Order: sequence, then C-alpha cells, then structure tokens
Amino acid sequence: MSPRTLVCTGCGCLCDDVQVEINGTHLGQIENACAKGAAYLQAAFNPELRAKSSIRGQGCSPEAAIHEAARFLSKAKRRLIFGLDNSTLETQALAIDLARKLGAVIDDASSFSYGPLIERILKKDLPTCSLSEVRDKADLLLYWGANPTATHPRHLSKYTYYAYAEFNPAGWYPKVTLSSIEVRQTELTTMSMPAFRIKLRGDRELISGLLGESPAASDQAKQFSELVKKSHFCAMFCGLGLVHSLGGDFSAFTRMVQLLSQSIRVAVIPMIAETNMLGFTQSLHQQTSYVNSASFASSVSHGHQFSFLEQVHNHAADCILIVGSDPFSTLPQSLLGKLQGIDIICLDHFTTLTTDTADIVIPSAVPGVECRGSVVRLDGDSIMLAEPIKNGYPTQEAILRQLLEKVQP
Amino acid sequence: MTSPENGILLTVVTHEDVHLAIVKLRDGWSNAYQKKAAVLRLSRADLEKLALKDGAKVEISTPAGSVVVTARSDATGEAGVGLMPSSLYTNLLASYDPGSPLLPGKHIEARVIPIEKGITPASDLMVRRNRA
Repeated sequence: MSPRTLVCTGCGCLCDDVQVEINGTHLGQIENACAKGAAYLQAAFNPELRAKSSIRGQGCSPEAAIHEAARFLSKAKRRLIFGLDNSTLETQALAIDLARKLGAVIDDASSFSYGPLIERILKKDLPTCSLSEVRDKADLLLYWGANPTATHPRHLSKYTYYAYAEFNPAGWYPKVTLSSIEVRQTELTTMSMPAFRIKLRGDRELISGLLGESPAASDQAKQFSELVKKSHFCAMFCGLGLVHSLGGDFSAFTRMVQLLSQSIRVAVIPMIAETNMLGFTQSLHQQTSYVNSASFASSVSHGHQFSFLEQVHNHAADCILIVGSDPFSTLPQSLLGKLQGIDIICLDHFTTLTTDTADIVIPSAVPGVECRGSVVRLDGDSIMLAEPIKNGYPTQEAILRQLLEKVQP
Repeated sequence: MTSPENGILLTVVTHEDVHLAIVKLRDGWSNAYQKKAAVLRLSRADLEKLALKDGAKVEISTPAGSVVVTARSDATGEAGVGLMPSSLYTNLLASYDPGSPLLPGKHIEARVIPIEKGITPASDLMVRRNRA
C-alpha cells in the first residue's frame, strides 16, 4: 500500500493534510481526516454508493447517457443548469460556457444561502482575509450563527482556535478570545468565553445595539460591543444561522462592520459548507457581474426569477442539468412536487435521491480523489486538488466538455 | 389553560448535525438515519405542557404536512423553540415562500401534539417523481 496525501473535499475546510493508503481501488487507513471526511472518503471507494449511468432508470454506458443528455438539452426550450458548488473551477467554467451556448439559466445554492454575504465580500463592501492570516494574528474569533463542530469539524483545530501556536501563561488555552453568537447551546458555545445566547432572530437587535441605532440597547448588545471594540483584529465566521436571521439582508451588518473597521481590523469569512461555492460565485461574477441566478437567454440578465427555487416553483424550465448537487434531499417536498414532467439530467459521483429520480444519470469522478483541478476555499484562497487516483470514472469536466461539443442551441 | 391534547405552537429551528451527515454518507436512508433525524428537542417547560416524558412520540404539523418523531428533553432549551436536525423530516414540514430569497426550513412554525404512533419512516418522505 502506498500512502497518498489528498485534499479532502468532504466539506468547505478542504483539509490538505489527509493521508490515505490505497491498494488498487481499495481504501486502507485514513489519517488526519475528521469523522465526516473519513466517511466521505470511504463512500468514494464504496462501489455500492457510487452513481451508475442510466437513462430513465435503465442502466447504460456513460457514453450513451452523455449522448442522450446532449439530445435532451438540445431539444429543450428552457434549460436550467444548477449545482456546481462541489465542482472544480474548470468544471464551473465549462458549465457557464454551456449555459451561454444554450441560452440557459444558471444558478447555484448560493442564491438561497450565502449569496448576499458573498456578493458583499466580492464587491469589497465587507473585508475578508485568508485563514492563514487569522491564525495567531486575530485576537478575537467570533462564530456567528455557525457551529463548525457540526459543519466543518476541523475548522477550529486546523485553522483557528486550536491552531494557534501561542498559549496563555498557564499553557491551557490559546492566546485568543473565542466567542460565539447563537440561539441554542452547541459544542462551540460551551467552549466560548463569552458565548452570547440570543433570542430567536435577535441578531438584528444586537447589530442595532452596536451601531447605536437602538436607544435602549440590551446588556447583551453592550457586552458584545465592548468585546469587539477592545480587540485589535476580529475574525467573524458567519453561518447560516445569521444569514437566515437577517433574511439575507446584510445592509445593517455591513454598516456595523464598516463602523468597527474604523478602529479595529475586522475580517468576515462565510462558513460555506460546500467545497467551491466561492469559486462558482467568483467565476460567474467575473463573467457577468452577478454571483448567481443568471440567464443567458438573450443578453445576460439576473434576478430572483432566475434562482433555482423560483425556476422550480414557476415551472420555468423544461430541462434541468444538475451537477454535483442533491436538491431532492434538501428542498421542501412541496417544491419538489413541481418537478413532475421536467427532464432532469444529473451528474454526480454518489447515488442520491436526485440520481434515483433523474431521467439521465451520468456518474462522475470525485473531485480531489479521482480528478484534479482547482477550488476556492471559503476564505478565498485557491487550493489545488492533489494528483488523482484513477478509478475509471469520467470527470465532470470531461462530461461537460462533451456536452458542450454535442449540444445544439 | 391549554390541555396537552391540543398541543403547543412552537418554532422549530433546524440545524446541521455531523452525526446525521456521517450516517447518511455511510448507510444512506437507513434506520440509523431515521433514528437520528426523527428527533425533536424540546425545553423541559414545553415537555411539561405536553405532559410528556423524554422519549415519547409527538406529531409535528404545519400547513405543508405532518411527521411523527421522538421528543427529547433539552435542559438548555428555550420554551417555544424546538430543535431538529435538517433532514427529510424537516423538508416535509417546510413551505416555500416565493417572497423570501432563502431556502425555507430554517425556522418552521409548527403545532406539536402528543401521539401514540410509530415514527414516520424516512422511506415515506422520499419524493418519487414520474420520469418525463
């Protein structure tokens, strides 16, 4: 068995120190991975969990599935391309090219999650920094509506709290303040000193308190304000709890960060769970000036009507190409009912509820394990995926390249 | 005074659960998935209002549908707020709001009543689509 070092693509951490032993197509010992990453890698080497090519439920060769997918996309009138948040930059670029050629709508999950926050970071309304800048330099680590122990199990040990080299004089704690803002008790809040346990949807009130916009600011808001203002460099890790509490409206949050930035350094890092959502939004933004929900139907246009959720809700597409995403296990059932009668093509490496129900399934190589490429980590750093292990699956990049050649607009 | 049979109204807050994510990766939509996903954590106050003990079954209902899950006591829980991992169970309870740009299901307004029924099987929550 030969040990290999991989970049784990099991979550947004993209840990680059994961060592695996490979014997042919069998996975041996895994080192440095968290339990989630290990389960992901084990699944990648379990043939039973891998997607199989099919056309309307009947097994076929990958080539036949690609050919049929090209036929579906060519005959469709209103195409939608969705997913891509766990794909490489190279795959994402081809998907955008495909959308352009087909006059399709293209979107990813950022349109209903981190999009508004990412957009403000990309437009430099909010300051950010790399995780390597955070370590040993930030003196306040603030996790806001985020629980990395559940979403990014090695975030604290590899990049933040436990990664600090300097400890307090007794040697018990890293020399940094770990704090959190949460509506519930989590593993992280029990470690945080202080932890701000706020009421449900109470984030806006806390922000108003810090901005001085609320004349009767709560004690909590005052404590929070004091904590942040006495720091020199505050790294804010924003999770979906914050995104949902603010309803996706980060205007007050941005004003707060801009106010704080007058006296201390603040860096905002979204706790994106997907491996390359930031890459997709950056790529689309560079090409269209929009981070998601773009239509290439005539010239480039953008709007809520082009978000995946609205497209499904309004039956706007007659053929959907889903790349590396599983909406059938994440979307509300009531919305999934609207997908009756629509052609669905799914590219994925794993068997999912979406591959189970798709009209065409094209199995693909696992990025980072079976194919190389580059991705953008949640802090904006570019990461090269390691030399691949050959397992015979076509890459998403190769599949999209073939589709791009075969489809007729 | 509300009687336990009428149930209580609360906001179900959904969250990621690393154990559920691992089970899903390893075993798919198995009994282990069901056991970890079909759990509603309630404050002691809410459990008392429902006259329930830890481990009893409750039915959670919203305009979108209802599921039967296990109620667990959460010593740190807040009255009026229930906690559930994001899963096929919460997907059934969530409704799409065209006015919101966000994925529905983070905060779900629901009625919870005590019930003597089995847990809703995860297999009943998978959407089957007629292929075009």
